[in-house]
Order: sequence, then structure tokens, then C-alpha cells
Amino acid sequence: MRRNRVTEYATAAVLVAPFVAIFGWMFIYPTIQMVFLSFTNAPLIGNGVWVGFENYIRMFQDRIFWNAVWNTSYFVLLTVVPGTAIALAIALMVTRLKGRTQSLILAAFFLPYVLPITVVYLIWDWLTNFQFGLIQYVIEPIMGKRINIWRTIPWFMPSAAILTIWWTNGFSILLFLAGLRNIPRDLYEAAALDNASRWQMFRSITWPLLWPVTVLCLTIQLILQLKIFDQVYLFAQGGRTQATMVLVQYIYEQAFQKNSGGYAATISVALFVIVVIFSVLQYQVLRVRGEK
Amino acid sequence: MKSILKAALISTALLSFGGLAMAKETVVWWDFLGGGDGVRMKKLIEDFNAEHADTVEIQATTLDWGVPFYTKVQTSAAVGEGPDVMTYHASRIPLAVSQGTLKEITADDWTAMGLGADSFASTTWGAVSVDDKQYAVPFDTHPIVLYYNKDKLDAAGLIGADGLPAGLDGIDNFKAAMKKLQEGGTKYGMATTTADGGFSFRTIYSYLCQQDGDIGTDGNWLPGDNAEKLTKAVQVIADWVKDGYAPGYTDYPSAVALFTSGESAFMINGVWEVPTMVDLEKQGKLFNWGAIELPVMFNHACTYADSHSFAIPNNVGKDATPEKHAAVLEVIKWMEAHSLFWATAGHIPANKAVNESAEYKAMQPQATYAKLLSNMVFDPKSKNAGVASPLFDAAGNAFAAAMNNEVDAASAVQEMKSTLEALQ
Repeated sequence: MRRNRVTEYATAAVLVAPFVAIFGWMFIYPTIQMVFLSFTNAPLIGNGVWVGFENYIRMFQDRIFWNAVWNTSYFVLLTVVPGTAIALAIALMVTRLKGRTQSLILAAFFLPYVLPITVVYLIWDWLTNFQFGLIQYVIEPIMGKRINIWRTIPWFMPSAAILTIWWTNGFSILLFLAGLRNIPRDLYEAAALDNASRWQMFRSITWPLLWPVTVLCLTIQLILQLKIFDQVYLFAQGGRTQATMVLVQYIYEQAFQKNSGGYAATISVALFVIVVIFSVLQYQVLRVRGEK
Repeated sequence: MKSILKAALISTALLSFGGLAMAKETVVWWDFLGGGDGVRMKKLIEDFNAEHADTVEIQATTLDWGVPFYTKVQTSAAVGEGPDVMTYHASRIPLAVSQGTLKEITADDWTAMGLGADSFASTTWGAVSVDDKQYAVPFDTHPIVLYYNKDKLDAAGLIGADGLPAGLDGIDNFKAAMKKLQEGGTKYGMATTTADGGFSFRTIYSYLCQQDGDIGTDGNWLPGDNAEKLTKAVQVIADWVKDGYAPGYTDYPSAVALFTSGESAFMINGVWEVPTMVDLEKQGKLFNWGAIELPVMFNHACTYADSHSFAIPNNVGKDATPEKHAAVLEVIKWMEAHSLFWATAGHIPANKAVNESAEYKAMQPQATYAKLLSNMVFDPKSKNAGVASPLFDAAGNAFAAAMNNEVDAASAVQEMKSTLEALQ
């Protein structure tokens, strides 16, 4: 028996080795390097001099950094829970449809997800254009004047959130649909026999059984939205980038535009810590609630 | 079996052909020229390749303009994977030199190309020099200019005896002219990119220079009374928006659309929009138009300009062979000699021999605005300045709000100053 166990371990090690090697080489090693880099004044390319905690001190006093932290959090707040709720609502409606109609409607909701961000940007930039945009014809009667959405600070993040939900919702809808299909039909039949109302069925059957999928959706969304970059970068170009700065954009700006690799690494470490804390926290909180 | 043999034979044959062609130098070329000027550059490259069918071949790639281009050049040169020659904005040379990305153009190189300081306008030559060493060969100068709708100006009586716009100098005169045009039924006097403070920096910087102002440089941004001068410069555009002469929050494509559709009588934009006008005119879709040097709003004429130049990257660990280097110089020399065609893209050829030629002087509206060559100002010599630089970004942040009267010009200038002072 003993020999068997050894063979088993050996087999396991061989099977896991490629992943561990690639993961270590492509992820762990660069991460360690990044932390080292954050203690130097390195440019984008080449080595820097060890400067201790100088970058961290600078970061904590950096107005734009805190602005980016706030904007990123605000964006997460605007997208993660609302986006997931909307996806759930749409999935609940789509699941009631049958056959070809369902595929068609589903395709319509999934289509934006297929588009690259550059296309999404062009579509929305055109729709919201201050002079010629179609959406201005809706805004003008309501607000009394046209509004340049991407240059008016209070409008920027909510608008970016709306288009992000429009863009990425298809994936969450698919997850929810799969979850809904996994709920056994007989549960609903039994509930119907007991004269349960539709709301009671949702509260007591659909919602609890869908909870694991909801947790997954929320976690994926949270990590994704904390890393927001493309939308904000594209729409803010030439405008008030500091006021709408998000964390990844600030890393990009420091590293690639201002040639400060060390400081960019410092902000990356901060973002890394934020992502880890938030996702672990959220996953734990949501799991505890679900197990109750 | 037979087919394998056949494939082997063919590939051997191909290989030996490749061997024969080795005598021909290939020059790997990167540029960032999309749009109308990109089409013209492709034609120049084709012509070059056709003329040098047996000796040199340019293998060209067009990359995305701006930060992505400069970052790619920097990273690839650092590992010896950069191109043999590339286009480069003169305004970005100080940063590239501080990063060690560019090779110096030596006195021998200049001799080999038959060019030198005398071949270019002194401002342009200065723009490619750092500490009296040259790091690029200027190919063109591309300033901003004032485009005008000649039909509308004619109707408003704003065309002088020489057939060019008259009476536009001075802040008040310019406003009066726009007022006249708007009373004549034109929706706006001026279309300019009021949504993009970075782009508008070119205009604002010109107006700063017109007051003999100076943006300063690292460690000493906006020295003395320059903050006040910059405020006045920003105020010019803010007032146009406030008084309804120019639409607010207008992005680049909208500004062009407003002008080409006749809704606006003037447009301030780069000379690179000349091909757009020429093409529309050819299709019979445009009015009579022209382009002139920016009118003087303050003390004297002065216009922002930058230069597309040719630079040789410092490919670390992969020095070019003398043959390759000679081929690169031949490419640059040929392009400089043929830059008259490049002028159809709106840019002013940097090579004096070309822009003083009779052919160029017959080219309109290029020859009209080319006189601004003696009144140019380039970006300050700083690694934080130039197109798509932190300076442009700081301007974008500060001026987008100020031009649309969301904040007053003076506080926008203060904001820009503090952003610049925080740069390292």
C-alpha cells in the first residue's frame, strides 16, 4: 500500500507541475518583482536605486492617488450590485421565454459583450456627442440644455457605469440562466400544489438555490470593475483626466507616460492589496449569509 | 512521399532565392501616420522601393500614434528589437534622449545626406537638438492654422484686395468679424476643439507666445508674470464660447464637421486637415476655402508648431552594420529630397531647398501659411513636454473646464501650474 501512495503523489506532482511552473513563472515571480520595484525609483525600463518607503510616503500624500481610489470605489458601487441585479432580472424574464424567441432575445442581450471596448467607445461617443448625439435629444428636454457627459464630472462615472453594465451584462445573464436551469422543476410543482404564490416561490426556491451563482457573479464583477481602465481612459482623453482618474489608469500614466516604473509599481501593490481584501471579504460575507 | 520531395525541392529553391536577395538591404521602418498623411507616406515609400528595387527595401509598419508609439519604441530599442528608422515628433526628443532611446545624428551622417543646419529653419533645427547634438532629421513642420470659408467671408466683406482675409488681427477685431459672419446667417464664427484642453493647448500656447510669454521648464514652470499671460490666452477662447461665437464642448471630429458643413466660418486646426478639405473639394462637396497663419491676438505673430522628423533608435546590443546605416541615411536623404509630395498632406517641408522651390510656392493654401516659418514656437525643451506628454495632459485637465467657463481662467492656470510643479 505504501508504495501505491508514493506513486499517487508522484502522479499528482507530475500532473500539477506544468501549472505550478507556469503560474510561478508568469504570476508569482512578476508579483514579487513588482513589490521589489515599488521600493526603487526605477524608470519604465532598467533598474533603479533602492529608496525604501519613499514611494509609499509619496503615495499616501498624493491627492490624485486618493482621487483614483475614490473614483474606483464609486465605480464599483455603481456597477457591481446594480449590474448583478439587472442581470438577474433579465435572466428571470428570458428564462420564461421558449425556443427561438428565447435564443433571439438572449442573443440581443449578449451581443454587446462580444464587442471590443474600442467599438463600444465609438458607439457611445457618437450617441452622446455634444453636437450630433442622439441621446442629447433625450437629455435636452429633461435638463433644459445639452450636457457634455464626458466632460461634466458628476455625469462621468454614472454614465461610464451604465455603459459598462450594458456592455458586460451578457455574461452574468448567461451564468444566471445556467443557474436557473439547474433548479429542479419538481420543486416548483410541489410549491404550486401547496398553493404558493409566485413571489413565495422566488423567495423560498429560486433565490436560495441561485445564491451560489449570485456570489460568483458578484465576485467576478467586483474584481473586474476594480480593474476598470479602458472606458475611463478612452472617454476622458484630452479632458479632466485627474478628476475622473481610476487606479489602473493612474498606474498606466505613471509607468508609460511619466516613465516612473517604481511609483507605478507602488500603486499596483496598493491596488493588489485592495483587490485581495475586497474579494476575500465579499466572498466570505456572501458565503456566510448564504449558509444561514 | 512524392509530395514531400516536391515540397523539399521548392523550399530549397526558395531558400536559395532568399540567399540571392541578401545583397539587398532591408530597412525596417516604423511610423505613426494614419489618415490622410499616412496615405501619402505610403506612396512615398512605394516610390522609394520602386526606385531602389535592387539596393534598398523599406519594410514599413504603421503603429498607433501617441503614448503607445513612444512606449513601444522605448521598450523595443532597450532590447535591440527596434526598427532601423522611424518617424518621431521633435517635441518628444528631450524625453527620448533622457531615456537613451535615440542615436545621435553625427556630423558624418549629415555630410552623407548632404544636409545640415542651413537646410532647415533655425527653430526647427533647434527642436531636434539637445545640448548642441542632433537626434533626428526634421522632415516637416506642422503648425496650426486658421481655416476659413471664403464664400462666407466674401459675403461679409472680410476679404481684402489680395484675396486673403483682412481685418482679423486683434481680439476685438476678430470678435467683430465673427459677429458680422453670424449676423450674415452663419451659426458659429469659430469651430475649435473646446472639449479637449490638450489639443487646444496648441492655440493657447500660440497666444502665450504672441505676448512674449514663456511656459518655463522643469523646476521653473510659468515664471514671473507668465501665469497672467497664460490666463489672458485662455480667456480669448473662453470668451468666444461665452459670447456664443464658438460652441462649447466640441470634440475634434465635431469641429471639423462644423467647419466642412458650413455651420462655422473659421476653424483653428492643424495643417494635417488640409487633405480633408482638398478631397472634399475634389468631390464638389466643399465651398471655397483657404488657410492662413493664425491672426495676431496680442503683440506679434506667433504660432505653435511641431515637426515630424526621422530618428534612428539606439538598438541596445544590436548595432547596425555600416551597410545598413548607409541604407538608412539613403532613405532619409531620398525622403527629404522628395518632400514636395509630402506637402500635399498640409505639412510644410522642413528642407529649405524644397519649401523655397517654385513648385512649393505655387501650392495653395500651403504657400500662404508657410510664411509662419519665421514666427514659430515649439514646445519647451523638457522631458515632460511635447505631444501626448504630461504637459499636454496638465493643459487638458485645466483648460477643458476653463474654455467652457466652468472655472475661471486664472484658477485653471494655477491648477495647471501646481500639476506641473508636482511632476518629477
